[in-house]
Amino acid sequence: MVKEKELAYSVERIAYRKNSLLLSAIRYSLNAISYSLVFSILFFTSTCFAKDINFEATVDRDKVGLGQSLQINHTFNGTQNMPALELPAIEGFQARYLGPSTRMSIINGRIESSITHIYTLLPIKVGIFKIGPFKFEHNGDTYNSNSISVEVIETAEQSENQPSQEAQPEVKDLNERIFLTMQVKKNKVYLNEVTPVTIKLFVNKLGVRDIQYPQFSHDGLSVGAFEQPKQYQEIVNGISYDVIEFDTRIFGLRQGELRLGEANLQCNLIVKKQIRRQVPSFFDNFFDSDVFDNFLGGYQTYPLNLKSTDIPITILPLPEENKPEGFSGAVGLFDFEAAVTPLEVKVGDPITLKATVRGQGNFNTVTLPVITSGNDFKVYEAQVKQEKTALADGNQTTARWPTAKAFEQVLIPLNAAIKEIPAINFNFFNTQTGKYETITSGAFPIRIVKSEKEEELKIIESKQPVNASFQANGQWLGFHQPKPKEDKLGRDIIYIKDAPGQLRKKGEYLYKNKLFIFFQIIPLLLYLLIAVFQARNRRIKTDIKYARQLLAPKKARSGIRQAKNYLDKGNIQEFYDVLFKTLQEYLGDKFHLPSKGITISVIDEHLRNKNVPEEILISLRDIFRDCDMVRYAASQLREENTRNSLRKIEEIIDYLQRHKV
Amino acid sequence: MNKLILAKLSAALFIVIASFFSFCGFFAQGATNDTAADKLFYQANAAYKESKYDRAIENYEKLIKSGLESPNLYYNLGNSYFKKGEAGKAIVNYERAKRFIPNDSDLKSNYDYAHSSLNLERKPFGNLFEKLADRLFEGATINFLTIFLSVIYVFVIIAFILSLFFGGLKRLILPLIFILISLFILAAVSLQSKITYFNTGAIVISKEAPIKFEPLESATIYFKLTEGNEVEIIEKAENWYKIKRPDGKIGWINKTDLELL
Repeated sequence: MVKEKELAYSVERIAYRKNSLLLSAIRYSLNAISYSLVFSILFFTSTCFAKDINFEATVDRDKVGLGQSLQINHTFNGTQNMPALELPAIEGFQARYLGPSTRMSIINGRIESSITHIYTLLPIKVGIFKIGPFKFEHNGDTYNSNSISVEVIETAEQSENQPSQEAQPEVKDLNERIFLTMQVKKNKVYLNEVTPVTIKLFVNKLGVRDIQYPQFSHDGLSVGAFEQPKQYQEIVNGISYDVIEFDTRIFGLRQGELRLGEANLQCNLIVKKQIRRQVPSFFDNFFDSDVFDNFLGGYQTYPLNLKSTDIPITILPLPEENKPEGFSGAVGLFDFEAAVTPLEVKVGDPITLKATVRGQGNFNTVTLPVITSGNDFKVYEAQVKQEKTALADGNQTTARWPTAKAFEQVLIPLNAAIKEIPAINFNFFNTQTGKYETITSGAFPIRIVKSEKEEELKIIESKQPVNASFQANGQWLGFHQPKPKEDKLGRDIIYIKDAPGQLRKKGEYLYKNKLFIFFQIIPLLLYLLIAVFQARNRRIKTDIKYARQLLAPKKARSGIRQAKNYLDKGNIQEFYDVLFKTLQEYLGDKFHLPSKGITISVIDEHLRNKNVPEEILISLRDIFRDCDMVRYAASQLREENTRNSLRKIEEIIDYLQRHKV
Repeated sequence: MNKLILAKLSAALFIVIASFFSFCGFFAQGATNDTAADKLFYQANAAYKESKYDRAIENYEKLIKSGLESPNLYYNLGNSYFKKGEAGKAIVNYERAKRFIPNDSDLKSNYDYAHSSLNLERKPFGNLFEKLADRLFEGATINFLTIFLSVIYVFVIIAFILSLFFGGLKRLILPLIFILISLFILAAVSLQSKITYFNTGAIVISKEAPIKFEPLESATIYFKLTEGNEVEIIEKAENWYKIKRPDGKIGWINKTDLELL
């Protein structure tokens, strides 16, 4: 008994384990799917972020004397929403957080933003130290910075122009601890001449954050975008300042005495709270350390608006003397070159003229050479591309302003007599010499082959006069922007159709046609028919009772037919034999009974239960009786009786088929 | 026995399909043979060739009023209106021709030209799904789509019948049925939108037509439509149609400013 129970229990357990195995398999696979989903999403986003945000560590100098401080910046490019990293212990240094500085710029619709967290490092021993790499985790993403090596030297070794901090005079006035200056490289410039402007923010041992780009009024002057600010240290009057330098360029739009500035810069000053200053004591100095301030959360910010002095600037007009024809206002120091490809074309095929202006100066007024060609060339609008590379004066700074301007112009020769593209003159005003200069490129000899399909040319030939033309002596008229020309090709509707096509009654559509809709029913009916037929066939194969019942009347009819045949031949004996057999088989099939065992008593009892009317039962009895008489008693029945039997059997079958028995 | 029945059934199916297609073919060919109508058409063409566009229009219109239509008739009528300077009416007739010959290059070119001459951009009606279906069956006529739907339907039925006989093929047949039904739905949506467009679509034929907030002359103007713009008619009042722009804006327009497709 106990064993049985145990057995039952273990069987149950197996069943349970099977179930739980299945369940856990499902759960596992679901988990796997969801984990992989989450993982892939995380991975995707993190790679996205990692791609978008870049973490960079920089120092303001890599050599520092003992007792001097060093500034380390953590810059995150691509975001402004990044908290400061709690600096890990750096060997050889004491670190202190100064504050964040954010920057945002929009160039050609592309937004660049960054946040820089600034720390000061105070070296505590001599040697070469490796700072970083820093690892920073935020919102589940990990950022890694580069590492920097810094050399700490004895104070004695430092150069003379960098006095130690102890030697610095104490600066009391706030205006001397933080101030703004603005300088212009040249304050006498020609119209359109570009000159750099430098705005510097000087900060001496103050925490400053949220530094905005400076603004200044510039009536009559055009101002470019600011470059990325530079950060360095500078000593003024023996005081070491942290300097942030903003560079831009200006040029005069009209001549006269103009004023630049004053420059305004907004920032927030971080000031220690003055709570514990009420009772000055010996401990004050001790407690007056940033460590404690930091610990006690003692910083406050004050908005500060700094102003520089304004600068007078004189814009000189360009001299009229020796002004070349076609001068369009290019001012600076430029180089010019041009090339033509291909040198051999068919009439009507394009020739590309590439011209590049390189150098320093105001590219806004450098416009492209437009070809003016009488009836010799068709001139298309030139494509202009500006290049921004390192400045030509050797500075490796990436310029925000262009250093070269390239033009690409398509010319189409209109006849085979053209031998060359004439020389191109580029005129500019050299601001260094104060004279006009002309650089000539070309002429470019070309070979024009006669086109095989000259009639095609008519299409591209403009009806309007070409807006530019070569002068009679074959010189370029100069540099000016051509107006876009559009080929007004002849366009019109295509001609009418000759034949009426198939004229038909209006609004006659197939979907409205009744016959068509009727056709749609046929396949469905066909399908239903086949489906029913198929179902019936299947049942016949599998359900013997149904098959027997279904086939019973058919078999009975053929039996009766056979019997009739015998009757016609006068063979009464055979007739009754067949009749009896038919009746037996029919009833057997109909009621799913063994046919051979059908006798009147069996069938009588069976039918009585099914409320079959008495006359049918009487007929049945009569037939069975007649059959028996003929088959076993060999009594001769009259033909009338045989016909009667035949009629009765038909009636019986008919009744049994009609009524659900 | 089963094979015999199958043979019989496939024969029956074949007969049904064959007769169906011959019917469709007959329907498509179902052109009238009216020499008087042809004569009118040629007269109109002759007038067009002589640049007598008014007369050409008159004859073409007469033919249409007699209850006949053909793509070439609408195309030529569109050309005549365009030459006469009524680009809006030209677009109406090009649209009508498009019902029958959407892929005709001449028609496409003239249709586009008429649009560009009015500085119009075509904006399709309907939601995203309808636009997709329309895009898919852009070059199909109403009759073609009707036959296409019917053929898919017959194929689906055949697939069902086959699956009755060959249970083992179900794995192949079910995806097939799924594809066929998806295609069927897309084609049906496209057909539906085409029929709706031809039943309720209209083109602005006035140079500029004010669309008002109410069906009243004094009503405030909601926005304006220029010649050739397509609209959908939502409701008809005595002298006014309530219309919808492709972007969904609804207002009332004077009946005379529009021509139904």
